Amino acid sequence: MDLSQALATFLDESRELLAQMEEILLRAETAALPTDELHALFRCAHTIKGSAGLFGLDAVVHFTHAVESVLDRMRNGELELSDALINLLLESQDHIASLVAAVAAELPPPEFEGAPLRARLEAFCATTPATPAALPATVAGGDPVVCSATEAAPALEVGGSVALGAEHWHLSLRFAPEVLRNGMDPLAFIHYLRTLGELVHVETIADTLPELAAGDPENCYLGFEIALRSTAPRAEIEAVFEFVQDSARIVLVPPAARVEEYLALIEALDEDPRRLGEILVTCGSVTARELEAALAAQHVQAEAPRVGELLVEHAGVPAQVVQAALGKQKAAEERRASETRSVKVPADRLDALIDQVGELVIAGAATQLQAQQAGSRALQETAANLLRLVEDVRDAALRLRMTPIGEVFNRFPRVVRDLARELGKDIELVIRGAEAELDKSMVEKIGDPLMHLVRNALDHGIESPERRAAAGKPARGRVELRAFHESGSIVIEVADDGGGLDARRILAKAVERGLVAADAVLSEAEIHRLVLAPGFSTAAELTSLSGRGVGMDVVKSSVDALRGTLDIHSAPGCGTTMRLCLPLTLAIIDGFQVGVAGATFILPLDAVVECIELPADAGAAGYLDLRGQVLPFLRLRALFALEGAPPPRQNVVVVRFGGRQAGIAVDHLLGECQAVIKPLGPLFERVAGIAGSTILGSGEVALILDVPQLVQRAIAHEGRDTGGAPRARFLAA
Amino acid sequence: MSKTVLIVDDSASLRQVVSLSLKGAGYQVIEACDGRDALGKLGGQKVHLIISDVNMPNMDGIAFVREVKKNPSYKFTPVIMLTTEAAEEKKRLGQEAGARAWVVKPFQPQQMLAAVSKLVM
Repeated sequence: MDLSQALATFLDESRELLAQMEEILLRAETAALPTDELHALFRCAHTIKGSAGLFGLDAVVHFTHAVESVLDRMRNGELELSDALINLLLESQDHIASLVAAVAAELPPPEFEGAPLRARLEAFCATTPATPAALPATVAGGDPVVCSATEAAPALEVGGSVALGAEHWHLSLRFAPEVLRNGMDPLAFIHYLRTLGELVHVETIADTLPELAAGDPENCYLGFEIALRSTAPRAEIEAVFEFVQDSARIVLVPPAARVEEYLALIEALDEDPRRLGEILVTCGSVTARELEAALAAQHVQAEAPRVGELLVEHAGVPAQVVQAALGKQKAAEERRASETRSVKVPADRLDALIDQVGELVIAGAATQLQAQQAGSRALQETAANLLRLVEDVRDAALRLRMTPIGEVFNRFPRVVRDLARELGKDIELVIRGAEAELDKSMVEKIGDPLMHLVRNALDHGIESPERRAAAGKPARGRVELRAFHESGSIVIEVADDGGGLDARRILAKAVERGLVAADAVLSEAEIHRLVLAPGFSTAAELTSLSGRGVGMDVVKSSVDALRGTLDIHSAPGCGTTMRLCLPLTLAIIDGFQVGVAGATFILPLDAVVECIELPADAGAAGYLDLRGQVLPFLRLRALFALEGAPPPRQNVVVVRFGGRQAGIAVDHLLGECQAVIKPLGPLFERVAGIAGSTILGSGEVALILDVPQLVQRAIAHEGRDTGGAPRARFLAA
Repeated sequence: MSKTVLIVDDSASLRQVVSLSLKGAGYQVIEACDGRDALGKLGGQKVHLIISDVNMPNMDGIAFVREVKKNPSYKFTPVIMLTTEAAEEKKRLGQEAGARAWVVKPFQPQQMLAAVSKLVM
């Protein structure tokens, strides 16, 4: 049986459950937990333990068992959820996570913290058995009705201990009338006995069977006397009947038993002893002579307690069905009625689908082009219809990959809580827009850069409580994580209400590190951006929290790799906001085609605001008058040093990014299209101004323009008409 | 004719393992993630055995078994409940609801297989 796939499911499931545990525990810090959340908490540990057992992950089972016991007492109201307990549970949750991680990495479990943590857990749980290794494997509790004649009559020396010759077990079964209604089929048990050995003889006892008219067809009126040849130990044979313990009387007599054990058996049963004796003889368990001798011997020992009485005393009384009041436990269940159903799909299948859809889009564009060239009206209509459907399929496929950013945000409450404690600061984390969606692959890649920004905000952004008090701010610092959609991108902000960036110190440090000339004149925003420069590591301030050898430049480059941008807004005394702007998807976009010097370029349609005609008197670059507004613009022809004379009439595409607009002058406007983004390859991926490439319906390659860079470029040029001089530098790798 | 077993548990991995081992032994398996899901999937069709967890969201095992046992089609269907060793109270409730067989979590796949074959021929 190949368990590897199931194990992968287990790992996923455990991570989700651990995240849920953490979430609930963190909520418990601020408010008392409602009962259903306590139950959910218990269920998390319970499910992990149960599933881990299936895979034989003993380390996980034993540790989680300790956690589960504490949670069990909590939900039963026997244990208060104190601060210390929350901390302990969070640590335990971490430990389970590391155990699960070790399983995922196929490493031996990290044992070092396990034992002390477990000791602390057990301290909360005085009744927990100290040795989790002693967990019962299958045997449920309850009154053991499976009794052995040996145990029941241990010391009776009746009849001089005649050993009988039978080499088989003798089983005497009497089923209660309701056994069938309980879903138990006596035949199934007898059938199962065959897995333990050979059924030598089965005698059916139908003495209690009533007249046909008087009987209840749902009742079981049968008993069985069975001779079983088996080498199985007693416990294993008893275990066969574990499910009918409560609704059957079962007596086992081992092979080569002394005769008094059979006597005990006969005494214990309701039927006529003489008839039972005959049955035993039929089964081959006892010979007729042995039986006679034994019965005679028993009469001699009159003063000894009757075997039958002893048996009844020990086990003959059927287990009582205890009437317990039915609990009122429905309310919580119904609350979660509207849980959405979902299907888990391996990511590579989704990726394959997106790839295929990409090819479909390109093929669709080619079809449309052919239809236009063929000039057939009907064909064009069909092609248009097809293209519309392809677009729908594309959108649906891309939506499959969209995941709420909350998946990343969720880990921050814990991080902030732990870091704040470590730093001795009181910090509140506010999360907004966790439901904003972006591509799954982005979600995975954005976690680390965000983590760094949040750590920075906590460590360097928020001041110590004393300094906050001195500045007249509330002692409790505030870090906000915000996400929202804006013109085809997702914006993620990490904002703190701390001291803000110190421009003077940053500039001094940058000069010291040789990043800028000592006499450079920089705007405040430019100074702020210096912290993103490679080499601007502030070694003097490195703490164990942020820092960690990774500078802001690493954050910047990982954001760049996602075709995103990182902006800094900071006001002294009021705090700093780091603004990450990322494209929603890395796969397929709606594009707007423009032509320059015979080549086709594509702008993301979301970024396009409008198109205007380029005034004849416009300079090489600089700004235009857009209905009274200043619009910085640049010429694509000049920027990319494309050859050939421009047509007499040129156009300007107005694009928007990050709240700013800029114009891009092009030769022709070619209209909308779908663009499957293809990477540029290692040689060209660092070319400025180009974000990627795509394949047109004609089979030609078109370059996708990097709007954020172009906008920044145009703005930087505003008011400094340099006549296209920087193009060489701009295109350089 | 192969026998059909319904497994109800909120843990997908547990269902997967139990289902694998039962299918390996020739049973047909229906999976459900909680009581409500299970009732939907049962829909009156014949099953020879029901395995259900106790602790589940939406509808727990006890409520599920109580509901199932109201349907005459399942009057004689054996039910195995999955439980922890400490759940005496749950066990009583489960028995009243109509579950008589118990397997303690955590268990090994072959233990489950043994329990199933005790109840289904």
